[in-house]
Amino acid sequence: MSEKRGLVRAEEICGDHEQRAKEIKAGGGKVAGYFCCYPPVELMTASGYLPLRILGDMNEPLTEADNYLPTAMCCFYRSVIDVGMKGRYNYLDAFLGAHACDGAERVSYVWRSYLKSPCSFYLDLPHTNHAAALEFMRKQLIYLNEELEKGAGKKATPEMIREAVRVHNRQRALVRELYGLNRVDPPLLSGSEVLQVMVAIMSIPVEEGNALLAEVIEEVKGRERGPEKKKGRILIWGSLIDNIALTRLIEECGLNIVIDDTAIGTRSFWVDVDEMEDPFAGLAVRYLDKVVCPRTFRDTGETRQKDLDNRFGYLKEMVKGWQVNGVYFNIIRNCDIHGYEIPELRDYFESMGLPVLVVEQDYTTTALAPLRTRFQAFAESIG
Amino acid sequence: MDEKIKTIRSNKTLETAREATLFAKKMLTSARDAVAAGKPVGWSMFEWWLGASVAKAMGVELLYPENYGAFCAAVGKVEAYMDYAEMDGVPGTTCGYARNCMGYARRLKENDYVPPADAPGGGMPKPLFLLGCGAVCDARYKWFQGLGRYMDAPVFTLEFPQTGPMEYFIRGNKENNIKFMVQELRAFVAFLEKIVGKKMNWDQLSERVDIMFKTHRLAHEVDLLRKNAPCPVFCTDFWAIMIPVMYMPDEQESLDFYKRVYAEVKNKVDNHVGAIPNEKYRMMFAELPPWPLLGIFEEFAEKHGTNFVMESWNYHAPPPLPEEERAGINDPLELLARYSYHKFNEGAAFAYEKGVEPTIFTSYYLQYAKDYKADGLFCHPLLSCRPATYTLMHLRNLLLQKMKVPSVVVEGDIVDLRVFNVDEAYAKMDAFTETMDYYREVRKKEGFEW
Repeated sequence: MSEKRGLVRAEEICGDHEQRAKEIKAGGGKVAGYFCCYPPVELMTASGYLPLRILGDMNEPLTEADNYLPTAMCCFYRSVIDVGMKGRYNYLDAFLGAHACDGAERVSYVWRSYLKSPCSFYLDLPHTNHAAALEFMRKQLIYLNEELEKGAGKKATPEMIREAVRVHNRQRALVRELYGLNRVDPPLLSGSEVLQVMVAIMSIPVEEGNALLAEVIEEVKGRERGPEKKKGRILIWGSLIDNIALTRLIEECGLNIVIDDTAIGTRSFWVDVDEMEDPFAGLAVRYLDKVVCPRTFRDTGETRQKDLDNRFGYLKEMVKGWQVNGVYFNIIRNCDIHGYEIPELRDYFESMGLPVLVVEQDYTTTALAPLRTRFQAFAESIG
Repeated sequence: MDEKIKTIRSNKTLETAREATLFAKKMLTSARDAVAAGKPVGWSMFEWWLGASVAKAMGVELLYPENYGAFCAAVGKVEAYMDYAEMDGVPGTTCGYARNCMGYARRLKENDYVPPADAPGGGMPKPLFLLGCGAVCDARYKWFQGLGRYMDAPVFTLEFPQTGPMEYFIRGNKENNIKFMVQELRAFVAFLEKIVGKKMNWDQLSERVDIMFKTHRLAHEVDLLRKNAPCPVFCTDFWAIMIPVMYMPDEQESLDFYKRVYAEVKNKVDNHVGAIPNEKYRMMFAELPPWPLLGIFEEFAEKHGTNFVMESWNYHAPPPLPEEERAGINDPLELLARYSYHKFNEGAAFAYEKGVEPTIFTSYYLQYAKDYKADGLFCHPLLSCRPATYTLMHLRNLLLQKMKVPSVVVEGDIVDLRVFNVDEAYAKMDAFTETMDYYREVRKKEGFEW
């Protein structure tokens, strides 16, 4: 294991996010790869697996994807299947797919058809947060836990799951503390540094992640200077970003990324699991109801404004708390769940007086250069 | 000036298929009449028969914007609506039906909710509510949620679990799925009672369920008759006769219509009359067709003898619910839940046995290939309907690997004519007949039945 610490360690892990998983595997441990923010990491941890978020690779040319997926689908999941078919994740002991969105659902099936793991489970997430949906979700999580137990060859008792909940909640608290460092102007961390930490903690055991977060927080608090002050303090909303090539580009264009609502960011960490006697009930509520992603439908309510506040109100808190003065919608091309939200959320932010930049990007570093002028123009428009 | 892209209209081969398009127009007329009479109208996603009968049993007329999208496309009127939606920020990569509907809804709002005079088929009147559905694609609830900017109609999203083929066999999982669906249907009844202002008519609901089962049984039997060689029904026939099966199977008129369809098809089988005069190849089609160009399949048939014997899994009535699943169940909501779940999962055992995922959109074609003795698959990846497209390349691989049935891939769209290259389609079909010949020999050598 590396001797590096803090931000340097996070950068190292982010640069090769499977490094630690392979070390653990070589040492006799087990690794569970999962899609999106929905398979509960607590259950993987309780069964003794390292939870590893499966990512694509923006630097990798797609040479295999076309054999399995059409071009008109989510560019991220095309990349995921491309690197998967090239054997990048062949060492997984468990694969956990999820019905997070259409792309994740169908790619879960395609993945399992060609890439076999000793243990696998497809988590069928409901689409609403209705009471019956929460109960359905709870049962699905019990099934998932049973499959993980079979794969691990040991029981994950309710107490072990409750302990995993506590340690992951600790991680969430540390992540919130980390983001809190960017409330000031200028922020103490760049968006790229935050992203490196997020990718890192999704790639190492939770206790190591917590130690890394504590190191980073201590390091950043003691910094003499962080990113330079820029005119734009932006919130990034949308599909995931897992490569700092994009965040660096944004930051080179006169913008500070101070907060995000993306799947490799606050969305995966912002809310805790309630510590309950029945850990599955707490997990169901957290993942299906408390995590706010456009993939979960929330009843429309009595008025239009109530509907919008119910769906987007939490973003107002981010805008206020992080002194946001511009919003970038990062849409991975062909992402429907974010795509349908664009007109509504754009209007919502603009009603707060915030300029919005919408970019549909192709999840490849080779297509980033043309975006530079758009980010520069957006930075010019702020303030 | 751009040359106008031409539609290629289908003539269909069944007399009853030529009648069937009237059902689509009737839906629109009935809804406008209902509004004029002060009755409730809802817009619904196609929900594989889970909730539509529930709404209709409470006197609600339902309209299907997906069907309206296909209707607008068939008459060449979608571009203006899609452009109007995109001008309001809806991404051009989203579902073509959705953009058509959003553009239409924007126009409707600007016209004080009176259907515009130039709307195809007279247009869809403003709904009292919207019925979304969680099955198959995210657009089918996100799109209705997004309509909130044009109308104050509340959305109810019907849950529809999507079980994996391996997870289907987890003890208790199926019954948990059914229980969940029934609970959600009860919530839908409560939603309707509140918004419509009257109580559910349970007797009428049971009657509707009964009629639907009878209509669908006939539709399924028509599908079974298509196993005959020559196949008596062509894909363009099916894409017409499916309208009552999908949108109004619970009405006596649809049941009566399907009795006539069955009689016509059975008569053709008894007299060895095929849908096309010289059936040389038996093909399948997946999944959604290019609605404005349906006639091209008749042109392929004429040129190559390609009969399209099965198509579009998601539009077909499933086999009847097994008696053991119906026995003792008097709650119409549970019958509906079981039936819709059955539509998606009745092939789970086959999928599991063959090691094929997912069950939906994929494993059923492997079954069709065997049952209908298919020589090839016409794969139609869509630019603007991704969920029907996601697994097509995977399906192509599986069919070839497990059934030695090849595929031809022609990209297109459900609404946008510009995407479908007619010349390329002809060229690919010209070459594909040789591929089908080759794989006939391969199947023969490897001991397949056809």
